[in-house]
Amino acid sequence: MSLMRSEDYLPRPAVIQKIIAENSQIKTFVLALADQQANQAFTYRPGQFMMVSLPHRGEAPISFSSTPTRPGTIELSVRRAGSLTAAMHALQAGDQVGLRGPYGRPFVMEDLQGRDLLVVAGGIGLAPLRSVINGCLDTPGHGKLTILYGSRVPSDIAFRGDIDIWQHHPAVTCHLTVDAPEPGWDGPVGLVTGLLGQVKVDPASSTALVCGPPVMIAAVLTALGKMGFADEEILTTMERHMKCGIGVCRHCHLDSKLVCVDGPVFSRAQLKKLQMDRL
Amino acid sequence: MRDDAMDQAFILAKDHLKSFLRKVKKGHRLVAPVTNQHNDTLFCTINHLDRVPINLTEQAQNGIKSFLFPQQETLATYAVSADGYRFNRTDVRPEPTVYFGVRPCDLMAVLYMDVVFMGGVKDQHYLEKRQDSVLIGLNCNAPFANCFCSATKSGPFLETGFDLMFTDLGDRFLVEVGRPKGREMLQAWQQFFTPAEAEDTRAQYQLSLEAMAGFRLDVYADQAIQRLAAGLVPESVWEQLSLRCQDCAGCAYICPTCTCFTIVDRPAGPDCGERLRSWDACTFAGFTRLAGGHNPVAHKIHAIQTRFLHKLKYDVDKHGRPSCVGCGRCVGICFGGTDIVRFIKMAGED
Ligand SMILES: Cc1cc2nc3c(=O)[nH]c(=O)nc-3n(C[C@H](O)[C@H](O)[C@H](O)COP(=O)(O)OP(=O)(O)OC[C@H]3O[C@@H](n4cnc5c(N)ncnc54)[C@H](O)[C@@H]3O)c2cc1C
Ligand code: SF4
Ligand code: SF4
Ligand code: FES
Repeated sequence: MSLMRSEDYLPRPAVIQKIIAENSQIKTFVLALADQQANQAFTYRPGQFMMVSLPHRGEAPISFSSTPTRPGTIELSVRRAGSLTAAMHALQAGDQVGLRGPYGRPFVMEDLQGRDLLVVAGGIGLAPLRSVINGCLDTPGHGKLTILYGSRVPSDIAFRGDIDIWQHHPAVTCHLTVDAPEPGWDGPVGLVTGLLGQVKVDPASSTALVCGPPVMIAAVLTALGKMGFADEEILTTMERHMKCGIGVCRHCHLDSKLVCVDGPVFSRAQLKKLQMDRL
Repeated sequence: MRDDAMDQAFILAKDHLKSFLRKVKKGHRLVAPVTNQHNDTLFCTINHLDRVPINLTEQAQNGIKSFLFPQQETLATYAVSADGYRFNRTDVRPEPTVYFGVRPCDLMAVLYMDVVFMGGVKDQHYLEKRQDSVLIGLNCNAPFANCFCSATKSGPFLETGFDLMFTDLGDRFLVEVGRPKGREMLQAWQQFFTPAEAEDTRAQYQLSLEAMAGFRLDVYADQAIQRLAAGLVPESVWEQLSLRCQDCAGCAYICPTCTCFTIVDRPAGPDCGERLRSWDACTFAGFTRLAGGHNPVAHKIHAIQTRFLHKLKYDVDKHGRPSCVGCGRCVGICFGGTDIVRFIKMAGED
């Protein structure tokens, strides 16, 4: 991203190609910019986000859940949380949203090249990490992937299509857990931190990627530290209220940092330098 | 006038000021401080130089922030039609503007806004207003009651950052040339200016010494900055301040360097509307509230911390200087006494 870039705050229209209901709360929107040329030229990186507009609803930051290794469309997976996201859930294929971006510091895929990855996600937190996982699997020379995914209940498990592929992939180990079981569930019950003890990963050759609710992130970061992961090799994404996406409005401040430009991806080492009591 | 002669200072006789400004007005909108019938001194657009007297003796209540970064501005209009969901820019290009009589603190504040809005990704709406503006400053021979710019190193006299800088020498102004736009302006209207003599620059130096001695408040900003950096400011300071903050955001709105904003949609009909940006304040409850209700800055005490840490710690780390320019406006406006001068005093105490 060039520092000389300028921002006019004008979203570009994008057409919904397809909608995938991941669970009762999350839908994945497959989108293409209405301007075909712009759509072809569009690039982004895992961990970055778009500002999504809906008429009268303003904007919300949403991470890419798709990988740039599969160009042509982008995917945004949206959990129904309030006004804009609920309105988005009411849309149909063929409808339009406004998009501006991409924004934010990404996961640096080059740094992950060849390393084993330990992915720990909760709920919608799998969305940005799905971008990394599928990006890695699309790139020759990737290491082993261990994916731990926690959901509230079994019917909340999102991205089932991907999970099915990952569970059958020779380089991937994928474990699911739920906070509370439902009839028919014979998998583990409990927090995702409980799965950490059961997996075989070598902290020296692995990078951990963590995304989920703030309390989960805090617990997982501590547990990973105890397992021997270096702070630089624990990466997470931070959620903050955002308005501009370019580091001027200050809504996303996290101590001296602005999450929209200094993040949303941070290493544990970076976070430790900040006052984490306000996480 | 030769180019290399431009480094020196010039003299504009006070009798010629109006004629000079009249010429300036031909190609620019002129913004300068004016005292209105309510006795408020405010920067405003001057349409008739003969009807409104420019006031160069009071401190303007507003500064020039709102001209470059309006309290509310339309970023775009939107419409949903058979064409889809489209955003358009409607506003006309801003007029080239000369800001005249800008005090050093307010001038430094504009330079700070330049860093915020143009230092990284360039904010197009700010950039368009800023790129065609000329800053003509006025050094302060006599600081006002709440001024403390000497403590924040942003006045009362400035040597750089301006396009032109005026110093009042009684019957004449000493005019210094700074950035290229000032040089162009002087060259275009050189008939009004004569080279300054050594005695003029001596007189200016003398005035600057008197100004430095004229501050009425003792504000030890460096001490507070150092104690913040070292983590020596006790929690009780924040607690006491937060008890009296009424969440009115007066300090943020009046402050020439507070630039937080929000963006909202305002429907104009079922299928169209405007996207507006308006001033916001980090001290407001809800500034950082997330969907789901989780708020990382939930307590008043944190909101107060955010404001002062931003000005006196984060910006010192990032830009090498505080983003409080010592204009003293928040001192006058805060009825709870939760202003930055109070904070600096409390933070500096053992
Ligand atoms: C970098 C980044 C990436 C993100 N990626 C994703 C993603 O991939 N997928 C995803 O689903 N989400 C993502 N999010 C979160 C998403 O942006 C928010 O869920 C979204 O902005 C909610 O917008 P909304 O209009 O639907 O909710 P809002 O209507 O703004 O708020 C929803 C809820 O917040 C609370 N609330 C908000 N304002 C108030 C108020 N004034 N008073 C009281 N309560 C209030 C209420 O509980 C309300 O129901 C991301 C966030 C960030 C910062
Ligand atoms: S703070 Fe300094 S520069 Fe600003 S008006 Fe007062 S004396 Fe002048
Ligand atoms: S914090 Fe107060 S004194 Fe400092 S620049 Fe802002 S209004 Fe002026
Ligand atoms: S969203 Fe505006 S500064 Fe980060």
